[in-house]
Amino acid sequence: MTSHELLTPQDHGQLRLLPRRGVEPHFVQIVPSEFVAAAIASPILFSKDPSTGAFYAGAVLGLKPGEGALKSAEDRGGFEPLSLQRDGFFISGERIAIDRANPRFSETEGELLFDEDRQPSPCLRRLQRVLGQLHEGIEQTNRLVRELVDLKLLEPIDVSLSFDDGERLRLEGLYTVSRDSLRELEDVHVLRLFRSGHLQLAYTIAGSINQLAVLAHLRNRKLAEN
Amino acid sequence: MVQAVKRVVIVGGGTAGWLTAGIIAAKHRSRIPVSFSVTLVESPNTPIIGVGEGTWPTLRTTLSRIGVSETELFRQCDASFKQGAWFGRWTTGEKHDGYYHPLMLPQNFSQINLVPHWLARNDGRSFCDAVCPQGRICDDGLAPKTIATAEYEALANYSYHLDAAKFAPFLQKHCCEQLGVRHVLADVRRVHLSENGDIRALETEQAGEIEGDLFVDCTGFKALLIGQTLGVPFVDCSDILFCDTALAVQVPYATDTSPIASHTISTAQSSGWIWDIGLPTRRGVGHVFSSRHISDEEAERELRDYIGPAGKDLPVRRIPIRSGHRQIFWKRNCVAVGLSAGFLEPLESSAIVLIEMSAKLIAEQMPVCREVMDVIAARFNNTTEYRWGRIIDFLKLHYVLTQREDSAFWRDNRLPETIPERLQHLLLLWRYQSPWYHDEFDRIEEVFPAASYQYVLYGMGFRTEVEPQIVAGSTTAAERAMRENVSQMEKLRTGLPRHRELIRKIVQHGLQPV
Repeated sequence: MTSHELLTPQDHGQLRLLPRRGVEPHFVQIVPSEFVAAAIASPILFSKDPSTGAFYAGAVLGLKPGEGALKSAEDRGGFEPLSLQRDGFFISGERIAIDRANPRFSETEGELLFDEDRQPSPCLRRLQRVLGQLHEGIEQTNRLVRELVDLKLLEPIDVSLSFDDGERLRLEGLYTVSRDSLRELEDVHVLRLFRSGHLQLAYTIAGSINQLAVLAHLRNRKLAEN
Repeated sequence: MVQAVKRVVIVGGGTAGWLTAGIIAAKHRSRIPVSFSVTLVESPNTPIIGVGEGTWPTLRTTLSRIGVSETELFRQCDASFKQGAWFGRWTTGEKHDGYYHPLMLPQNFSQINLVPHWLARNDGRSFCDAVCPQGRICDDGLAPKTIATAEYEALANYSYHLDAAKFAPFLQKHCCEQLGVRHVLADVRRVHLSENGDIRALETEQAGEIEGDLFVDCTGFKALLIGQTLGVPFVDCSDILFCDTALAVQVPYATDTSPIASHTISTAQSSGWIWDIGLPTRRGVGHVFSSRHISDEEAERELRDYIGPAGKDLPVRRIPIRSGHRQIFWKRNCVAVGLSAGFLEPLESSAIVLIEMSAKLIAEQMPVCREVMDVIAARFNNTTEYRWGRIIDFLKLHYVLTQREDSAFWRDNRLPETIPERLQHLLLLWRYQSPWYHDEFDRIEEVFPAASYQYVLYGMGFRTEVEPQIVAGSTTAAERAMRENVSQMEKLRTGLPRHRELIRKIVQHGLQPV
């Protein structure tokens, strides 16, 4: 159950925050400002919001739902997606809301969200920045997607992986940037993409696909260890 | 010197005219305007008839090739999804009598013919439900895809119901703005022939003379070029298909959240049948009947009974129809597409698919010069005559399989002299073997594939003798196919959204192009 409430020093003066717990999702939404850091360790792919059909970008952390991430944050070069960092926190209009039922919140352990003067603590200020970056990032993603779709640069990708234990995993409903389509772009469009900063992002996404093989290799190794 | 074909002139701005313009212009895009032109001449005064709002899945390919957005089709043409047709009371006439003709093929259709296996099982399940999930999807009022499915892609095969009066202007805008089609609003006063009998030019009221190398007659029932000018006779087929009148009415929904059927509902009456097509904005309902068997007043009463209180004061439009087609469709440098080529009752929504197929054939075979045009015309005539023949056979199939005895209309429909010879032969054959894949309908582009015949035959209780030994050889494959059908059915029924809900989302968010 979730239980959303607006965050206020009156109501939450004693509330403390623990690190995020639980298994990491295998696919996590990320925003363009995270692409470079993400691409070092994870494939970046697009998926569709099931309720609107709108594209969003995500990092593949694992290859099977429920199995968690294949690399630790440390192995990912410290890359921790903003949307995991903000776990439990939401933007509600101009305010911040929290899901009180999230196990990160405690009355006894962790970092206080407000200091003695009822001002945001360094911990909360960090989360405010995360939420702000995410909020801005969603807009940046929409602009990026609009341009990629207009130029017909997105293409569906069916990932089918066979593992040493005989299991076959299929990742469906994913999209990447087509390198062929990038090469065929007219000069005027290349220039436009370059100026908007989207060309760099497009190549980052296209290149990150190689990380899929790395993850598959890692998963095979883990299977052998178990 | 050869006489190059560079100027295509289409006369008539209805669905046929604009679809043909779009299909030809899209195919020859790289030649326009340097060495090729497509001009559409449309009278500013003639209203569009807008036959049939039902289409076939081919329209998805056609529209995607022309380059229009599916999202915009839903936004601008009041489109809804069509996943097949329900035929109510066609077999026995009783209240719960009915069957689906869905658009999905039977499971693993290219590998195995499930008919004999279904017949051998005889377990009370309908043929449709045994081999395909779509009947249940329609029962549930579900859409054939989700908002995350790309434009023109399907989870369950589909076509559209649409408002034909909005479809033509929608295509027009795209043809003129994106495909370089020249649009001339003018009334044709006279048609000028050259000495060899070809059409040389149109003399118009408002735009002077319009010359062309190839003329496409999309003038509707008027058949201005193919009929009035070139004198190609009309082949009447009302001796096979009796319906000659339609009464049409538009029925509003009770509320704007009322469910929309995602299939055409066709309900047999005493001397004809009623179509019921759900658009997001209204239902289009109409009674097609044989005036030789029932009066207009009686027919209107049956129509109003069908609609119930919701239709009490709604105005009814009477449309006379004449079943049949031109003797030939391409004569000299003129080819007929749409109602000018012919008309059949809209029982299986064959009108628009035939327009697409004809226009595609013209676009692909576009004669380079006048010298080869007669060769292509002969080909076109051969193929098109075959198609009309197969549609007539297929429509008649719905009537000959009935067991109804309650009126002269149904009894007369089974008289051997009203059944085309080819269909009689097929019915004889099908008593001993079922139609399948390519053993009967072998053209690459059949209007109705063998699967359609299976759905209608076995939906209407037709029996084919099955030798147990023949079935035994492929039981495992058949069982696997039927199992796959069950699991696909479950998956789709849990994953697909309500029909109206998806249309609302498409209008609001749009579908992605990939």
